[in-house]
Amino acid sequence: MTASLRLRDIAVEFPIYSGGSRSLKKVLFNRTTQGNLARDAHDRITVLALSEITLDIEHGDRLAIIGANGAGKSTLLKVLAGIYEPTRGQLYASGKISALLTASVGLNPDATGRENIITRGMFMDVHPRDMRPRIDEIAEFTELGYYIDMPVRTYSAGMMIRLCFAVATSVRPQILLMDEWIAAGDAAFLNKARQRMEDFLASTSILVLASHSVPLLKEWCNRAILLDHGRILAMGSVDEVGAAYERSFA
Amino acid sequence: MVSVASTELDPENAAEWPAPPGRTALASRDLADGFGRVWMWSALAFQDTRLRYRGSMLGPFWLTISTLVMVIAMGVIYAQLFNQEPSTYLPFLTIGLIVWQLLNGMITEGCDTFLREASTIQQVPIPFSIHAYRNVCRNFIVLAHNVVIVPFGLAIFSIPIGWSVLAIIPGLLMIAINGVWISILLGMISTRFRDVPPIVASFLQVLFFLTPIIWPPELLGHWHPVATFNPLFAAVDVVRAPLLGVPTAPGSWIMLVCVTVAGSGITFAAFARFRSRIAYWI
Repeated sequence: MTASLRLRDIAVEFPIYSGGSRSLKKVLFNRTTQGNLARDAHDRITVLALSEITLDIEHGDRLAIIGANGAGKSTLLKVLAGIYEPTRGQLYASGKISALLTASVGLNPDATGRENIITRGMFMDVHPRDMRPRIDEIAEFTELGYYIDMPVRTYSAGMMIRLCFAVATSVRPQILLMDEWIAAGDAAFLNKARQRMEDFLASTSILVLASHSVPLLKEWCNRAILLDHGRILAMGSVDEVGAAYERSFA
Repeated sequence: MVSVASTELDPENAAEWPAPPGRTALASRDLADGFGRVWMWSALAFQDTRLRYRGSMLGPFWLTISTLVMVIAMGVIYAQLFNQEPSTYLPFLTIGLIVWQLLNGMITEGCDTFLREASTIQQVPIPFSIHAYRNVCRNFIVLAHNVVIVPFGLAIFSIPIGWSVLAIIPGLLMIAINGVWISILLGMISTRFRDVPPIVASFLQVLFFLTPIIWPPELLGHWHPVATFNPLFAAVDVVRAPLLGVPTAPGSWIMLVCVTVAGSGITFAAFARFRSRIAYWI
């Protein structure tokens, strides 16, 4: 089965809960007193994080999502990953999806690297019995050495990133979604990561990479969209869209 | 996420695409897919237990010991206070406390079902129900450690253990089903309203004293129904009575079945309505 993602007129609205509407007591109290207070709890401020997103991502696409901070890049990745169900519009996906969204990726600080590899594997729907044989390979790539048997809270930020990256790329999804944090590793790691990514991408059908670094995106992607305030402003080749992005703050 | 193969959809003709499944279908699929991943939630529950007691020599058996200490200390005092025969009171108290710990654990940790997994929920789309099954499973693992005390207790006080003991199985099963809906419902409410977990914890504290666990319901005389008309009593009773070799109170099973049906129904409706909001509330 080839992979694809189809988005039609997708919108995502975030409710912003201030202190008051986070409290059951206040919400109940306001209900019963009605009057002015009621507005407090129900006048929720919502942020329109994405709107009118219509997009088809096909097999072979290496899609770059370009945009400034707060443009909706991460939200769009989360919609594609199936984490946020859009408040409006439709999303159809086929293909196994793996997402590398933030560096902390729910690592359990008290568990060892080894245990976290198993847990992360489970969350990617890989049975521990299938994950165990991959631990050695992951340990080798991450150069964690004996740290692999130490609690993750003793790791440096770079070690955590290496671990997460290695685990996420140890299974072969058809669709890989990545946020730009991956560029946070040191130079030596980035070189190694690039090598692994190339092998990995050879067997991946779709890559979606979000970043505001145009050079990084040019290297990896063959298509791009420009996001601004949750809308798609431009769509096309990475060069065109990258240029449009750079013009936007020139 | 929709399971229609998107490659079969004509990009030019979005109007003819099949409608995505409704909320109810998505909620049922979440519950079923989650339950089907037994390996996942059971492994996670075992890992939780292991991590909680990492570095302690006795591991989860600390629970057993603390339960044992509590039972002995309370047993001696309260047997005197309530003027009870220790040989019947101690087993009554032991089993009551152990079942209470199960219920208490499921309810208090149920508030945390989704909150404690905030980072996972923000990262990977796995069925939400996994976290609820994991919560119930973890508390049954704790129960399994505590239960070690029971055979000794029953032997010491020479309470005969017969096949009737098997009657606790449907009781425990009912408690597990209730644990699932409680974890989902309280988990969702607590994610939306952050003051709910402390409210629940303080209510449970009160309920512990109102539920006949440290005192036998007979002591209330003709006020007796007040104590037994209580879902928590029903849950304790369906496990405790068979182990003590006495009949369950007349209303216990009816109460438990009613609570299970009503709770599951309400939770399913709420889950169908708000499931997709959990990731936003986190």
